[in-house]
Parts: sequence; C-alpha cells; structure tokens
Amino acid sequence: MNELIRRDFPILSRVIDGKPLCYLDNAATSQRPKKVVDAISKFYLETNANVHRGVYHLSQEATDAFESVRSKVVRFLGASSEREIIFTKGTTEAINLIASSFGESNIQAGDVIAVTRMEHHANFVPWQQLAKRKGARFEIIELTPELRLDPKDVDRVLALKPKVLAVSLLSNVTGVTNPIASLASRFKMVGTTIVVDAAQGIAHGEVFVDRLGPIDFLAFSAHKLCGPTGVGVLWGREAILDKMPPYQVGGNMITHVSDLDSEWNELPHKFEAGTPDIAGVIGLGAAIDYIETQGRTRINEYEEKITEYVIQQIIEIPGLRLLGPKDPHHRAPIFSVAIDGVHAHDLATFLDMEGISVRAGHHCAHPLMFRLGLPATCRASFSFYNTFEEADQLIRALKAAPVFFARKKK
Amino acid sequence: MSYRDVFGEILADHHESPRNWGLITDPTRTENGFNPLCGDKITLTLKLKDGSSDETLEKCTFEGEGCSICMASASIMTEMVQGKHYSEILKLIEAFREKMQGVEAVEGLPSDDAAEDIVALYGIKRFPVRIKCALLPWTTLKKGMGAAHAG
Repeated sequence: MNELIRRDFPILSRVIDGKPLCYLDNAATSQRPKKVVDAISKFYLETNANVHRGVYHLSQEATDAFESVRSKVVRFLGASSEREIIFTKGTTEAINLIASSFGESNIQAGDVIAVTRMEHHANFVPWQQLAKRKGARFEIIELTPELRLDPKDVDRVLALKPKVLAVSLLSNVTGVTNPIASLASRFKMVGTTIVVDAAQGIAHGEVFVDRLGPIDFLAFSAHKLCGPTGVGVLWGREAILDKMPPYQVGGNMITHVSDLDSEWNELPHKFEAGTPDIAGVIGLGAAIDYIETQGRTRINEYEEKITEYVIQQIIEIPGLRLLGPKDPHHRAPIFSVAIDGVHAHDLATFLDMEGISVRAGHHCAHPLMFRLGLPATCRASFSFYNTFEEADQLIRALKAAPVFFARKKK
Repeated sequence: MSYRDVFGEILADHHESPRNWGLITDPTRTENGFNPLCGDKITLTLKLKDGSSDETLEKCTFEGEGCSICMASASIMTEMVQGKHYSEILKLIEAFREKMQGVEAVEGLPSDDAAEDIVALYGIKRFPVRIKCALLPWTTLKKGMGAAHAG
C-alpha cells in the first residue's frame, strides 16, 4: 500500500483548517476513489434510463449495467446465483427485511431469538422488536473481558436452540472478528437460521458466503467498501428467500396485479419494489472492481500490520483504555479508546483540532456501551489507504490529550 | 495549540478551576442532570433564602463528571444565578437556550460587556454537536428551580 493509492481518493489530499486531513472514521463510512464517482457520473451522463421496463435501447443498456453488478456481487461473495442477491438501501434495510419477512412468517411465541452483546443497533433492534411483537424470547450472548464472544455463553444460548442467531462478522466498536464458520456449524445442528451482519466485515479482508459455514443470510452496505451511500446487499439462501413473503410491495416486484390480488415476481425482484438506486448499484460495482484491483488479501495483510503497529503503541499510553483484545490477530484496525480524565467528546474535538477525524459517542451500540459502563468512547478506524504516518499522528495526539485537559485541584 | 486556543481563556479557566464546586449540606433542592448519550452528569444543590417569599436562590453549587464544556458552563452559570429571583433565573435560562440554539435577537441576557464569561459560552456554537453539553447545567437548574418552586 502506498502513496499511489491515496491519489485515487481526491478527498484525502484536502487540507482542513491548515492541516492535512487525517481521516480515521472509516468504520462510519469509507471514502470513495475517483473511479467510483466517475462510474456514477458516467451512468447519469450517458446511460441513464429506468431498468427492467423499457423496450428501447437505452433502457436495456441501463438494465445490463445494473444487472451486471448483481453478477459481480455473486462472484465477490462466492454466492451461487443472482437470485440470491437483493439490492437494498443498506445493511439496516437488509436486516429489517429479514426480520420482517422471514421473522413474521417463521417466529412464534416462545421461540428464542439470539443476538450478541457486540451488535450494532442495526442487528439488534430489528430482532428485539420482532421478539417483542411475537412474544419470543430475546437472548443476548455475552462477552469475555476482552470483548470476544464468551464461549460459555455461546453454549448456554446454543442449548436454547434459537430459531435465529444474528451476529456480526466484525464489531464496529472493538474491531473484534467473530468465528462465524464454527458458530454457524454448531447452531445449524440445532436448526438455527444464521444471519450475518457484514457491514464492517466486508471492508476488512475476504468475505465469501461459501466459506462462512452454513449461514443463511448476510448483509453489507456499499459505503463501507468505498462505494456510494444508500446501497446495500442482502444475500440469502435461495430456498429460504423463495418461501419468504415480500417485504415491500409495489412496482417491479409483481408479475400480475388484478383488482383484488397480485402475484409476486421471481427472485430477486420479489424483494426489490420500486425503482432501485441504479446509479448507486453501478457505483457499488465500480467499488468492487476497485477493491479487487487492490486485492482483498493484500488489504488484509496491510491492515494487520497497521493494527499491530497501533496497538503496540497505544497500550503504552498511561491512562488509556483500549476496548477489546490487545492481540492484533482476528481483529480489524478499529480502536475505541477511553482516556482517564478526558471526556470522549473533548478528546474528539482535540483530535479534530489536530486534523484527525474520529468518531466519539456510543457507536450505535448502546447495549454494549452501557454494559461496559462507558457512555462514550473515541473511535479511530483505519482503512487500507491510511498510512503509518497517520497512525503516528494519532498516537502523538492521544499522548498529548491528557496533558491538555488536565484540571487543577477543585 | 492549547486548550485556550480551542475553547478560549475564559472557558479554560472555568474548566480548570470550577467555581461553586461542591455540594451544599442542607440544600432546599438537589437536582441531577444526565445526558446518557455522552455521559455528562451534573448534580446541582440549591439553597433558597430561608422563609423568602420572593424565592431568591441564595446559593447554587455543583459537582459533576463530564466534558470540559459542560463543566465550564456549569461553573459560569452558578456564578450568574447566585442571589437572583426565581422568575429572573427562568428568564435567563430560556434566553441562554435560545441564544445557543441560534436565535438572533434574544432578550433577557446580560449585555456582552457586562458578562464576558457567558459570552465565551456562545462561542461553543461553532461546535454544533457540543451545544447540548453547554446546555445541560442550565436545563438541570430549570428543572430544580421548577421543583423547588412547586414544592
């Protein structure tokens, strides 16, 4: 990874308030390479027409461009067919789709729905509310002090034979990676449907659904992967998707509408009501091309190095608490920190003044943060285009912060 | 770059050496303010003048844990409200809230020359996400004064 990559991202050369932008909020959203923006722009300027309807040439071109991204996603995820790939607004909509469509028709009172303590609200609240609506039992798999899944609690929940297990591939707060394949194998034995939130995971290394064990659903958003906002993907097993009722109804998702009833279109269109974000999907296609050019294995190797580098130094800072494991393996370059005597928001403002963009707050993970007794942390999250110099810049600032915010005796 | 460059001399001073810090042992009213999203926590103790029919706030002190803006704001507020009447305090709180929320012509605030500390707080508007940090002590006082007034 080198300076050439940074040139692909015009925003990375911005100077804010006299300081070069040091963008470390990639877990919130990544930046876009020029190629992605160009692809979107080119679509609007040269190919724009609605998809799946027109008999005219331009509409066919637009449809081909749109559908070719679906094929690309099939390859990118190691899926079996285009029928398994549903374009959504993002991970949140994808999980809501599963919880509503699959959940409504498969969950009954007394069933168990399981999530983990580290879930983002997007993979927590839809399941919590489904359980509430159905009178199902909602179980949370707790974590070890290192904030990895607690094997004993995994066993406890496994024994309850949950109908659904919703688990993230990678935590947006701690960067912890979960052993999805082994979890999926064990839960499949008791008949659990396994839903994987790959919103963070998709950006850090290879994600192939056929290597994650017997999972049933996986969702991710384009914007964490250098693609545009407002587009995401839901992958699901065809046999399951086929039986699920539509999530939203309207145009595109029907084959026939009579006065009193309608018939649903085939997969994947059954779940894509209305005109999709065509340009966004094309942007996602360009993002996948870009990521594949860089190489997911290469990205992963680089990120492992930067993770190790940051952790080594960050844990030496007096009064700093790093959430999650200090072992750089099975963990992404996402660092949530709390510093004694420095409020997370003060720290974020201080870092901002040093040109460093980080996130401060609860990271959409109240159940985890409240359990840790931390209302807010500061989170620095790296991408493959971040440099070791930027890591140094962060570490210098983290060292300086406690001095800066010191209070006199009251 | 120092704290003073970012937040200014006055706020830095209030953060480093908060005024009216500590809790009154026999308060008329104790009021807690909490922002669960960022963890700012404040406790105000209020002492109303004994047998006062005009409901004068004789003393107001605080303790808390929170960001520097919240703590500096509490320090500045407690200095401003000592010895003031209930109705006067409510007007001040409301005026400050409006000012922080961007209302242009706000009545009921001291003139800028006479009160440079509160003017320093207006500067927090340049950090929009931090405005609620500055407001927490004030909304807590409003709650406390309302409760003391009702009781």
